[in-house]
Amino acid sequence: MYAPGTSLAHRLDPRAKLAVQVGFALAAFAHTSPRGLLVGTGVVACCLWAARTAPWEALTELRLLVPFLLAGPLVEVVVLGPPWLAPEQAVAPALASYRTLLVVLVAAAYVRTTPTRESQAALQWLVPGKPGRALGLCVGLVARYLTVLRADLRRTRTAMRARLGDRLPVHERIRLVAVAGLGRVFDRSDRLALAMRARCLSWNPTLPRLRFGPADAVALGLALALIGWALTPALAPVLASLV
Amino acid sequence: MSTQEQSVDLVDAATALALARVALFAALAGAFAFVSFEYPLSPAPVTLQVLAVFLAGLFLGPVWGSVSMAVYLVAGAVGLPVFAGATAGVGVLFGPTGGYLLSYPLAAGVIGHLAHGGPSLRSLDDVGLPRLVGSLVAGVVVIYTVGTLGLVYFGGLGLEAAIVGGTLVFLPAEALKLVAAVGIARSDDVALD
Repeated sequence: MYAPGTSLAHRLDPRAKLAVQVGFALAAFAHTSPRGLLVGTGVVACCLWAARTAPWEALTELRLLVPFLLAGPLVEVVVLGPPWLAPEQAVAPALASYRTLLVVLVAAAYVRTTPTRESQAALQWLVPGKPGRALGLCVGLVARYLTVLRADLRRTRTAMRARLGDRLPVHERIRLVAVAGLGRVFDRSDRLALAMRARCLSWNPTLPRLRFGPADAVALGLALALIGWALTPALAPVLASLV
Repeated sequence: MSTQEQSVDLVDAATALALARVALFAALAGAFAFVSFEYPLSPAPVTLQVLAVFLAGLFLGPVWGSVSMAVYLVAGAVGLPVFAGATAGVGVLFGPTGGYLLSYPLAAGVIGHLAHGGPSLRSLDDVGLPRLVGSLVAGVVVIYTVGTLGLVYFGGLGLEAAIVGGTLVFLPAEALKLVAAVGIARSDDVALD
């Protein structure tokens, strides 16, 4: 979740931070080797330092992913038949899990330092025209209505339990909760559409101003370097043939 | 201080309503990620995200249903805690479960297209039960095919382990959501204008 602050990453332009994320993900996938991931670990350390975020803080928020990261190597290490364990088979999934961990940590640094409004402005800059405006608007509405709908569903389940609804078959309980959620969605979306039009919802609103400073240029340089590094394995044969 | 003049290009009523529904269905998918039910035949508690994909395809149709699920992914990628366990960020999309998530827009489109018999939305009362069930089964196939590929590519798992650990063990829970989705589509409690 976003945490207000004054760290270097908080002050960076969201577009530069998105570029670093994309560049890092590409580089991590292109260099899923112990050496490549060691370099990636250094980049992650820099990102977390810039966001003033401890790795365990980011991992606490993403704890649900941890079982999935451990499951890959554990599932592959067990074989049905002698010798029952094949540690060499666990190497590839272990490297993939570690790569995921690094990508997730870089994304966590972005999430903790970028308010939704800035992401919205970056999206509208990235996707020009009406699709970008629609995307930015919808993401802003998701941010606003997520907690409202969660509270709606919580109230529905509490009411259901009070009426001994938790003794119903699971598919019936799921149906009841979903019907209540859908009803709220249609009710709220009708009122929301009317309210947006009453406030002159337009395709060309005044956007928050995004500023690209010297620190952003450094971040963009890092993103470009990562993208270049990611492309190296693909471009190496072409370059070799030219030389 | 400089001033700038430009005319206002207003969003028409139908598009405003469609965008509101797209956003709220995306938010519902995020809210469903927090709702879990214990189910003896499932190795993990059952969350309702996939049900949101079913409902987006059925109630919004193939076009807006897909857009809604794409908005859900973008919202999660830029940091809103809409993925299972209140997780967020681009990293989740590139993680072991990323394939399942990335399949949602396609699955909603397939479900909507098959259920409504084309790109335009029609009343669910006019959709026969075999077509309804067939569209949802096709959606499940899309989600689990892309999800399994995600486990192989993003998670580094072998194909066999991915199919057993990432698909077969979850199918009973998906059957449960499929039954619930059919019940919702057939119920008079929810009516689309």
